[in-house]
Amino acid sequence: MSATAMELGATERRSPHPIRVDHFVRGRLVTGEVIRHRSRDLGVDFTTPEIDLDALVTPRSELPPLLDVKTSEIIDFLVECGERMQLEKNPHLQQALERIVATNPLPRRVVENLFRDAGRFLSRDSLGCSIETNFANPAALDGWVERTDFHGQHGALRAFPPRMIHMLAGNSPTGCIASIAQGALVKAINVFKMPSSDPFTCVAMLRTMADVDPDHPVVRSMSAVYWRGGDERIERTLYRPQYFDKIVAWGGGDAIDNVIQYLGPGIQLVSFDPKTSISMIGPEGFASDAVIAEIAEAAATDVTVFNQEACLASRFLFVEGDREGIEKFCARLQERLGVDRETASEVAHPLPAETREQIEMLQLMDDEARIWGQCDGRGLVILTPSPVDFHPSHKTANVVHVDSLDDAVRYVNVATQTIGIYPAARKAEMRDRLASAGAQRVVRLGSAAKHVMGGPHDAMFPLQRFVHWMSDEDA
Amino acid sequence: MGAAVEKLTGLAQAADRFAIGHADLREAQIDAMNECLQERRERIKLLDHRAKEASLREIRTLEDVVPVLFPHTAYKSYPESWLIGQKWDRLGKWLGTVSAYPIAPIDTSDIRDIDDWIARLEAVGHFVACSSGTTGKSAMLIASARDIEWSCSDNVAAFSWGSGVEAKQDYRMFGLAPVAHVTKNQAIGNAHTAAFGDPRVEKFHLPVPPITVGQLTKMVVLRKAIAEGTARPADIAAFEATSKERQETLEKSYILGAEALVAAREHKLFISGMWNALYQIAVLVRGMGYSGKDFHPENCIYVGGGLKRAQLPPDYQQVVHETFNIPAHRNFQIYSMQELGSTMPRCQKGRRYHVPPWIVPLILNKNGDALEPKRGSEVEGRAAFFDLSLDGRWGGVITGDKISLDFAPCACGNASPSVRDDIVRYADLEGDDKIGCAGTVDAYVRGLS
Repeated sequence: MSATAMELGATERRSPHPIRVDHFVRGRLVTGEVIRHRSRDLGVDFTTPEIDLDALVTPRSELPPLLDVKTSEIIDFLVECGERMQLEKNPHLQQALERIVATNPLPRRVVENLFRDAGRFLSRDSLGCSIETNFANPAALDGWVERTDFHGQHGALRAFPPRMIHMLAGNSPTGCIASIAQGALVKAINVFKMPSSDPFTCVAMLRTMADVDPDHPVVRSMSAVYWRGGDERIERTLYRPQYFDKIVAWGGGDAIDNVIQYLGPGIQLVSFDPKTSISMIGPEGFASDAVIAEIAEAAATDVTVFNQEACLASRFLFVEGDREGIEKFCARLQERLGVDRETASEVAHPLPAETREQIEMLQLMDDEARIWGQCDGRGLVILTPSPVDFHPSHKTANVVHVDSLDDAVRYVNVATQTIGIYPAARKAEMRDRLASAGAQRVVRLGSAAKHVMGGPHDAMFPLQRFVHWMSDEDA
Repeated sequence: MGAAVEKLTGLAQAADRFAIGHADLREAQIDAMNECLQERRERIKLLDHRAKEASLREIRTLEDVVPVLFPHTAYKSYPESWLIGQKWDRLGKWLGTVSAYPIAPIDTSDIRDIDDWIARLEAVGHFVACSSGTTGKSAMLIASARDIEWSCSDNVAAFSWGSGVEAKQDYRMFGLAPVAHVTKNQAIGNAHTAAFGDPRVEKFHLPVPPITVGQLTKMVVLRKAIAEGTARPADIAAFEATSKERQETLEKSYILGAEALVAAREHKLFISGMWNALYQIAVLVRGMGYSGKDFHPENCIYVGGGLKRAQLPPDYQQVVHETFNIPAHRNFQIYSMQELGSTMPRCQKGRRYHVPPWIVPLILNKNGDALEPKRGSEVEGRAAFFDLSLDGRWGGVITGDKISLDFAPCACGNASPSVRDDIVRYADLEGDDKIGCAGTVDAYVRGLS
């Protein structure tokens, strides 16, 4: 099935009636069409209830609702909620889906697939794995753990629940489920600030959880609201250490700049930074037509994740090897970019105008660059001797022909996240240099979206940074 | 030049050029745009490409021209790496895709920087104006000698029309802006001096060295080096020291400017500059104990550009006008941009920018790919213009501005289409509320803006 105009939300976008956004505050649904907003990506109008700031803040005199709930119990509850995340049976998700397709650039079918796959964030294995890898002694989450230093002095330690604001990312609707799980695992009091491209999924998920048990401490620890990012009236008031310990934010630019101005003693930023991902393919990849076909499919898998809206989607593919083989690869890659996939559609949105200008210019100059495909969102491959200086998006791959992959290391920087490498044996050989340049993750080409459970994100173990490490000492 | 283009541009000096209504011009304007298309499509590579893509053979309606209007970004579509890597031959070739005249190969072997390259091109008749993109890329707009001449006489005529000041060489000229070294802008400044300046007195220039394109480029180069991780701390420190020094020189020059104005206060002054500098100097003049009553009542002012991100109090214009005794009817404003060769002066009575007969105004949708439907006489949307006077490059451009264009006669009595005095940039309207995990290394570069 291919994406049609309907799938891309074209019809809904023209609707003159603003879409209703509900809030969820400390376990209770809040409705009301009081404030009108416009979504960032697609310019759709929606309305939200008025935000009661007092309700969003739990006074420090109150102990966190999850403090005395065992981690194992929290996991049981999350797993049970995960089982209710079935699109066919869950009216909250169904309603969210209808609304998301109007505000989010992802096609309907991709959002459906993401919802179908969302249960994995709440699997017992993955939740347990996060805790095991984040905490040297997970018992510190459930109570005070004793420790003794080299001098025999005693103390106790507790990973005390934090008060957190999560600024959710807008490019993956189900990303909020991972954030909800993280907030629950560290027993935090959580406020989720929803993005304008999806002010729906988080509330749908919390309502699903409330259906399981409306008074569960996990549910009472969660609020999800929308305000326009940068709204001083809300942010100046709310972002204070007396109210919150940590702000967890995705992205860069204005979104982070807005938060940074409120940081100070007692209130910290844990940022999941904006990232670019790349691929590196050695000469072995162009050895035969069969190998070319195989690596073109693997590369296309990595490029097209969420129609290239994701940070782990590859954008620059550095290749070393024989020119003829590389050009065959480019042609094949272009074909494979136009294939319907689990998390990508045959046709993405067309490229932005400014990028089109630059690509058109490369075509007009008719040397150095070779181009396969068009700017129509069906997949575009640009072969150049050095990286283009625009950000390849909407299923665009910039294949950069380098003399040696060692030369490509200089294009790795502090914004580089995932590097898909072929042949996989080159990973071990290159990983130290890639880490030194700033990269965070090396994977086999074609596996950018697959993860070993419980791994770090953005070069850190976030849960261990979220908690308030409280120490009781008898020195 | 075709007959229709000649007819419309021939109105440049006509006293009643803004009195002609849209309906009376439409046919000639469409013919003129078609003449340009026929004459230039073989010469401008990008135009030919666009016309082919749109299967456009001739322009018969306003709709026809939309696919061959160039977005303002077309003039910065070159890879920045060529600028940084000083690949002059490649940049020359790129410029050739938007130039109406072939760019003969020039010797680039001993070119030291972009200033050299621009000078070398000028010597062979190609004038390149670079916009001062500080954080982003500079646009490079190529023009011919004829374009420069046109802009000079158009600007002088527009100023006279909008301010009521006659070109009688009886003003003392004060240039109160740190000037960018761009030939077109300097030529326009000289044309004003020749028309309005008292030839016995030399023009006052703010005593700061002009900013060259090469200096602006250094910032772009450093930004890129920081992003790539190759800039060393000493490089950044040296750049910041230079910026600080420049700022100090500038602030000192404001004091000298204020003193020179006070000394010349009994003469008729023609003050030009940008709002930020004018405001700072006005505050200094007030601090010295002088104000409107001390200055000549026939003073006039020519302000170029917007605020350029300067943070000024809301009454900054009033402060400047009152300090220098600029009467309300001399509050001259124009609407134009580097992409155009002509200007749209604001009338005093209707406070609207008037579009001359040789500029075809078009209002497009936000995406810039279709004409906005006309309901009533006033249309709002993305501004696009076809400047029929342009000779060295294509005249059709889509801007980043949101404007309201009225086709009905203005309160000032003139029948030309006019633009309401509330122009905003789309980029400023939207802000950036977007948040996601995907992004570029630009978010990791601090400062340098």
